[in-house]
Amino acid sequence: MKTLKNILAVVAIIGLLIGCNEELDLRPPQDVDADLALSSDANVKTTLLGAYDALSEGDLLGGSLQRNAELLGQKSHIQFSGTYNAPAEIWRKDITTVNLDVTEVWLGGYDVINIVNNVISALEVVDEDDRDRISGEAHFIRGLVHFELVKFFAQPYSAGNVASNLGVPLILEPTRGISEENYVARASVADVYDQVIRDLQIAEANLPSDNDVYANKAAAAAVLSRVYLQQLAYEEARDAANRAIGHTNGLFSLASGYAALYNNSSNSSEDIFAIQVNTQDGVNNLQLYFAAAGFGGRGDIEIQPGQLALYDPGDLRLNLYYDDPATGETRTGKYINQFANVPFIRLSELYLTRAEGNIRLGETVGDTPENDLFQIQERAGLPFNATPTVDDVLLERRRELAHEGHAIHDYKRLQLPVDGLPFDANELVFPIPQREMNVNKNLKQNAGYGG
Amino acid sequence: MKHMFTIICICLVSLGAYAQTNISGKVTSAEDGEPLPGVSVIVKGTTQGTVTDVNGQYTLSAPSAGTLVFSFVGMASQEVTVNGRSVIDAQLEPDIKQLSEVVVVGYGTQIKSDLTGNIAQVDGEVIANVPVPSFEQAIQGRSAGVLVSSQNGKVGQGINIRIRGGSSITASNEPLYVVDGIPITADNQSRTGAATNPLADINFNDIESIDILKDASAAAIYGSRAANGVVLITTKKGKQGKTQFTANFQYGVSSPTGKREWLNAKEYVELYREAAYNNDLAEGYDPINDPGDYPGSWLEYMEETFDFLAGDTDWRQLENDTDWQKEAFQDARLTAFDLSAAGGTEKTRFYASGSYSDQDGILIGNNFKRISGRLNLDHTATDKLTFGLNVGISKTTNNRVTEDNQFSTPLQLVAQSPLTPVRDKEGNLYDNALNPAMFYYPATVELENSHFVSTVFRNLVNTYVSYDITDALTLKGEYGFDLLTQYEDRYQNSKTQTGLDVNGYGTSRWVRIFNNTSRIYLNWNKELGVSNFDIIGGFEYQKSTRDQTNVEGQGFPIDNLKTVASAAEIVAGSGTLNEFSFLSYFARANYKLHGRYLLSLSGRVDASSRFGENNQYGFFPAASVGWIISNEQFLSDNSFLSFLKLRSSYGLTGNAEIGNYDHFGLYRPVSYDQTSGLRPSQIPNPDLEWEKTAQLDIGLDFGLMNDRLSGELDYYIKKTSGLLLDVPVPGTTGFESQTQNIGELENQGIELVLNYNAIATGNFRWTTSVNLAKNNNKITQLSGDQEIIDSGSSRWLNVVKVGEPIGVFYGVEYAGADPDNGDALFYVNGETPGETTNNFNSANKVVLGNPTPDFIGGWSNNISFKGLELNFLFQWATGNKIFNGGGGFMSANGRYEDNQTKDQLRRWQKPGDITDIPQARLYENNGAQASSRYLSDGSYIRLKNITLAYNLPVNLIQNIGFNTARIYVSGQNVLTFTDYDGWDPEVNTDYRASNINLGNDFYAAPQARTFTVGVKVGF
Repeated sequence: MKTLKNILAVVAIIGLLIGCNEELDLRPPQDVDADLALSSDANVKTTLLGAYDALSEGDLLGGSLQRNAELLGQKSHIQFSGTYNAPAEIWRKDITTVNLDVTEVWLGGYDVINIVNNVISALEVVDEDDRDRISGEAHFIRGLVHFELVKFFAQPYSAGNVASNLGVPLILEPTRGISEENYVARASVADVYDQVIRDLQIAEANLPSDNDVYANKAAAAAVLSRVYLQQLAYEEARDAANRAIGHTNGLFSLASGYAALYNNSSNSSEDIFAIQVNTQDGVNNLQLYFAAAGFGGRGDIEIQPGQLALYDPGDLRLNLYYDDPATGETRTGKYINQFANVPFIRLSELYLTRAEGNIRLGETVGDTPENDLFQIQERAGLPFNATPTVDDVLLERRRELAHEGHAIHDYKRLQLPVDGLPFDANELVFPIPQREMNVNKNLKQNAGYGG
Repeated sequence: MKHMFTIICICLVSLGAYAQTNISGKVTSAEDGEPLPGVSVIVKGTTQGTVTDVNGQYTLSAPSAGTLVFSFVGMASQEVTVNGRSVIDAQLEPDIKQLSEVVVVGYGTQIKSDLTGNIAQVDGEVIANVPVPSFEQAIQGRSAGVLVSSQNGKVGQGINIRIRGGSSITASNEPLYVVDGIPITADNQSRTGAATNPLADINFNDIESIDILKDASAAAIYGSRAANGVVLITTKKGKQGKTQFTANFQYGVSSPTGKREWLNAKEYVELYREAAYNNDLAEGYDPINDPGDYPGSWLEYMEETFDFLAGDTDWRQLENDTDWQKEAFQDARLTAFDLSAAGGTEKTRFYASGSYSDQDGILIGNNFKRISGRLNLDHTATDKLTFGLNVGISKTTNNRVTEDNQFSTPLQLVAQSPLTPVRDKEGNLYDNALNPAMFYYPATVELENSHFVSTVFRNLVNTYVSYDITDALTLKGEYGFDLLTQYEDRYQNSKTQTGLDVNGYGTSRWVRIFNNTSRIYLNWNKELGVSNFDIIGGFEYQKSTRDQTNVEGQGFPIDNLKTVASAAEIVAGSGTLNEFSFLSYFARANYKLHGRYLLSLSGRVDASSRFGENNQYGFFPAASVGWIISNEQFLSDNSFLSFLKLRSSYGLTGNAEIGNYDHFGLYRPVSYDQTSGLRPSQIPNPDLEWEKTAQLDIGLDFGLMNDRLSGELDYYIKKTSGLLLDVPVPGTTGFESQTQNIGELENQGIELVLNYNAIATGNFRWTTSVNLAKNNNKITQLSGDQEIIDSGSSRWLNVVKVGEPIGVFYGVEYAGADPDNGDALFYVNGETPGETTNNFNSANKVVLGNPTPDFIGGWSNNISFKGLELNFLFQWATGNKIFNGGGGFMSANGRYEDNQTKDQLRRWQKPGDITDIPQARLYENNGAQASSRYLSDGSYIRLKNITLAYNLPVNLIQNIGFNTARIYVSGQNVLTFTDYDGWDPEVNTDYRASNINLGNDFYAAPQARTFTVGVKVGF
């Protein structure tokens, strides 16, 4: 009996000490477990913020995406003279499959897509009042990023054969592990565009018109108008632009002076969607590459006479160009403040798109082309043009939206040659990054890159 | 080696009031019949005793029913009952105890001759008072297959141990350390890139034995943490008897084991003028022969640079010639004092100790102090119930110097020009900013204007309760913890480089790790006829919690206010928490049949918070067999072959030293527009698990000539699979890589241990032991068809490559200087053999050498003559190469202004010169790329330790109250034989050291050569 008591005593003591066996499930304190991140209304919204953060990285809308679109444009308009090899290759149209910046666009883009796919997968835990908005923002981002990727990594829609030309992998489900299903092949250009349009239509339907600095109805319609322009679907493009202008009613307006549009640490009145940058947060890669050393930039990109020649002598927008005192080269003044927002969709673009569509269709939906065009030209100090042609509007685009990431995309849809290369030249399409080709055997390399 | 202390090793006392008898006798050696002087003869259970005279004779008075204990260094103690006799002669046998020793195994002990696994034991006595900060340094060279290497000679810093080779690429390669049954925290806790060593908190004079579990049979009972071997540390226990005090005092001095040779002022001027002039000639100017070319020339530039470097001295007169290497080293001292007491009654036994040591590093400003105490108590409450408590506490204070890659680290002083004086004529230090005569910020200024102190408070506590349910069955419960609190305080005032622009910079950081383990297990030990069973089984739970907070501040009002509270601005701060836990079940059965057939089965199931949900439980079994052939009938009469055992083991162990949260899908906090967000940072891997090692060991233990020569021979092969690697995944997942169990490697080797009792005549004894180990490490599989993991560094050569040892040096092969023009040449290593090029980028990379020694060993000797003892140990490590990452600066034929090693004087000077040093060209990279130019043989053999001691005769010291008195002089790292032309071949620069980055030197401090004198008394 005494023995038994002793044994019990020992077991009891040890039992007390060991009584914490449950603690095999130790969660990381500094990071958040994936399940937790998608477990509640607040956490899903916080994860959506993470998607904006990913979208705003320097490699994407933080500036390099727009910079890449400009570097792929005419050498007679801008020159890249920096020491970084990756942007230099893009500007020379002599891109290698290991180009770092090209790789970062791919990786960064799909990083964003994965985050919003996670958000979309968890919409049911979002408060019902906010669910449409969260869904709209997530679909906006997914559509936008797939659209940017297909523009850079595939033959343009204007090159035809959209059902057989390879686009980019369409990723619509969140990554929850690695299996065969994660080795996704490229969808056709047509399939990618169809998905992009579906996402943006959901976004336009669900987003509010006024949504602080985040995606709104007008932004979704505006990106849709860009998509339709690439497809040369002028009626849909015109209608989307017209809807976007309608969505901005009472919320956004053209700014009175052109210079006031840039170097702002908060959105200007015509910034429908811009990447937020301030001293605490965010990067502005357009400033990094375009600004002179005196403004803290790298001074890598110089404006060439071909660009300046687009403007009439009295054009007020010319005033925004400046001579770099250190090098004597001409630079754009759009990006001199390191801590300024990066504009992505401005209201003026929508007037130009609507005008172009109406002229091509011979219609006046929303307003007459001459009125739409004059909204832009008046601010630039140009006279009224009562009978604008398509070419007048396209020239105005090149002046008004210069250095804002439209260059190569407009050349391609308009089937214009670039640096002597045809609009559908292999050299104007990014290669699928080598690291991706190495990992995913289901991918096919673009023509002209040894694939 | 247990010498005199055995006299107090008394287990039972039955002292009454017996009649005292006068006894005399003679003590001789059983081997040769020679008389033995100096043998201590003690009446058991008392302090009564004497020692034998030169003829081996003794007389003393003892109870007629008492027992005499005869003991002598190197001889087995002998007990003889008086039994009423008045003449008692004794014959002492040499103490050959290798095979009858008790070794510590996981959750128990075992007689060495019954072992079926491979365990190396180091007796605490052997390493006592070795003048190094931590015990791993003290056991270097003493165990076969255990490679101990210090990163550099800074005290209290990182030391790496590889037992039978490295078995991981990304997880830890260090063994599991267990002190008195409790797994302790042994990983680096330093905030800087240079590791600190938590094992240095242990006062190793308290250690009774260190047992290193090497094969799967011995280690598998530690399951998922045994793949790198297990080091069991057992602290001393008290024994029944009179309290025995031991006091030791030691004093010593340290100096570097090696130095490099540098250019003096005259040579510096000559080389750099030449380098500048070569630039001029290459550009078509000749400022020497055509003075008109001088203005604006490189030569003019260089001479103006000399003007700057020389400070207030005149370099043209060679007024100053600083030996900067000398400035990096200090006059290093060591003081140590230890006091211990052991003893107890039948019911309660204790061991108590206190110690203080203060050891300077050889680098200026480097010091390590430890103050520690220990109390080990055991109490037998009833004849069935025993419990005990072991408590070790310590405080260590480490005055640190910066990492090897910092300008402020002392040894980077060698980069300074010999033209520059340490101080100007007013006594102010020269630097690169406030009193400039240098290009690089010097350690001299850092030393006078900063402090960098790591203080560790350490508690190692272990309690147990043991209950004998029956004679054969024992229930044991244990609980223990390791509480480590580390405080790092660093302040750099406004005169330092870091504090210069910000008016002083302060960092304060606390780390606390509470690592606790509890377990309960049963032990059944029974002899049934010809069978002998020893079975244990139990379970265990361990949890470790690590909290860390740090704060950094800048802008201190005056240089005297040094705590962060005085900082005008707090610029950084964070707090983190990290935890892991293990729940384990373990069992082992040892079976012995007929005293010669041995079988052991063991296994452990480990569950851990670190493993993915699909693999949370791992099973680690091992089996081993042994056959004591010498106990067979046919060998029992063989007097030559006294012992022979064949054994073999096979088992699985794991390496769970992976990240605490590697298997989770994680989101990290981010912000957009100053609003917080979450972004995925890690793909979940629910399959993530430990790395697995399967090990086969075949061994032979033997004893010849009555075990006078004994030894062990082992062959092993360890195959590790499931190595954790970051495997690239499609970027379309939103991720770039996933940590997966995918790689494989193997270690294969042979170990031999020989112990020889060479001479054992009356007065003169010599025992010697040698251990040899050869290990081949080879990567057999990376992820998929991946052939190489290359960090792409342009300055270092280590890679992981299939078919090669981990961290193999892989790079361009250097071919010397072009005799025609002095260009550095490299072997193309393409299709044409021997083809060279001066274009580094067009040369192909090839395997250049192994950074890890593949053949290591030690040879130890104990020689005694009467009271004199001489012990010495040679230790070696061979087959490896060392890459001098500083070569591109210090041996770069005058590329920058860095002072150059003396061999650079061999540079190419004129067409036809055949040399390995290219032409000197200022600021030009003429062969300074990372190539085999900076690779050299790292093999060495060292007289690691030599101690000469004199044990004073007992009859001389008894009168003044001492039982023992020993005076000794000792030397550590006394002689080093190596072809390595750097400071010291035992090196791996601290700021880069990792599983892969091995064998690199970068201004790393050499080891210390230390000489001490000491006295140790027992009373």
